[in-house]
Amino acid sequence: MQGTGRSAAQLAELLYILVRKELSARYKNRVLGYVWALANPFAFAFVYWIAFKFIMRLEIENYSLYLIAGMFPWVWLSTGVSNATRSFFVNASLVKKVSLPRFILPLANVAQEMVHFAFALPVIFAFLWFAGGMTPKASWLWQVPLLLALQTAFTYPLALSFALANAYVRDIEYLVGIGFSLMFFVTPMVYPVTMVPEAYRHYFELNPLHAMMQSWRTIFLQGTLEPGHMAYAAAFAALTGLIAWLLYRKLAPRIGELL
Amino acid sequence: MTRPVVCENLWKSYHFRQPVGVKNLLLGHAAPAETRFTRQWALSDVSFSVSKGQACGILGHNGSGKTTLLSVLLGTVPIDRGRLSILGRVASLLELSAGFHADLTGRENAVLLGSILGMRLAEIRARFDAILEFSELDNAIDNPLRTYSAGMIMRLGFSVIIHSPADVFLIDEVLAVGDARFQEKCRHYLTEFKKRNGTLIIVSHNMKELAGICDEGICLDLGQVVDTGPIEGVISRYSARASAASPGKSAVAA
Repeated sequence: MQGTGRSAAQLAELLYILVRKELSARYKNRVLGYVWALANPFAFAFVYWIAFKFIMRLEIENYSLYLIAGMFPWVWLSTGVSNATRSFFVNASLVKKVSLPRFILPLANVAQEMVHFAFALPVIFAFLWFAGGMTPKASWLWQVPLLLALQTAFTYPLALSFALANAYVRDIEYLVGIGFSLMFFVTPMVYPVTMVPEAYRHYFELNPLHAMMQSWRTIFLQGTLEPGHMAYAAAFAALTGLIAWLLYRKLAPRIGELL
Repeated sequence: MTRPVVCENLWKSYHFRQPVGVKNLLLGHAAPAETRFTRQWALSDVSFSVSKGQACGILGHNGSGKTTLLSVLLGTVPIDRGRLSILGRVASLLELSAGFHADLTGRENAVLLGSILGMRLAEIRARFDAILEFSELDNAIDNPLRTYSAGMIMRLGFSVIIHSPADVFLIDEVLAVGDARFQEKCRHYLTEFKKRNGTLIIVSHNMKELAGICDEGICLDLGQVVDTGPIEGVISRYSARASAASPGKSAVAA
């Protein structure tokens, strides 16, 4: 019932305005605004690089490149979903006091993190070039937008479902936080899945997050698409998309009275 | 004649007023007692309608269901039973800073609120000068919203909302923070709005304000409509009941 009578163009503008609001609010009064968006993934990657390369002395080929290629899409996914899970509470006045299509609030969080990721792409390319000698590839021009679309479709259903569930049971936001911490090691983000003993590797590869992150790594590190992983991630996105849609129809009308 | 706002036998209960949490889910939680703020039916059997070009004032004590009724009309809260029909576009001013962001300037917030209300960016741009002029904020429009007083926020919000295309306005107790002259300007605008066949629903505890703008009134008590009719009559009966039940005179009347 909320926000009926809006055109698709108006919704697109509203999404743009909501994302711009968060971005400009974040960068106002901060001298190093853009740098802060990059700092988090780099800090993560640096910590694991030190720990694995120098302390545990694991021999992983091109380890710093492997870390960076996965870390940025991971931060988009995990930060986007975690922020979106809280989005109805953070924007309670938009849920309760104005007539707004509610699905747009978690979508704005996912889109906002996507923009951060897109801003970071030149830095990722530069890092791959200077640290790994990988000259930028022309094929990135169409591969990267394709994966941007795939990961948006992959992330948004999760974001919307958790946001809806969190309006009813507030423990969800903590579970999502713990879930991403576990997934960080299981997906895996800090070591290649080939290090997992053969007997268990199959289970690790069933994880759709692994397929999504591996798709990015193959593009960044080899410049090729991996159709198997991408199809698996797309199938997961379609399934969760259906679930999220059903949940939205069932749960969204009442969240105005829960906040 | 079709009336733009029609409510027939509305019932509304807040099934799960509190987010449950795992503890309550496992242990179950006690049903709340039937008091003014925790009764089962927030609205019970509410019927009323408003004609085109009319303003309806909603009166009642705190917890009588006024805000619930506005939320139901706006569509942010679903009803359990009854029929509700609203013709045309609804705009709401239910909370002063709903949709605003403290770190953005007044100008950016005006665009944000306009878009939230369903306006196209081109529409907002085209009307921006008129919005700024009505608000009288002048150069303050480029200051961050956190530097604004409540009155200035209200000026901005009200100015944006009246420039959005709406057939029905819902206003909840926010005009009071403006200064006397701006309140008069709002009242004048709302009267003009009615003349253009707009429909108005106002919640307020300011009887003078209600009497000045509204034609009809309804009075809610414990979620039920206890009085309807021309606004003057509803106000005087409400005031009479309120003073009869005031603690000084008969504390244990109920």
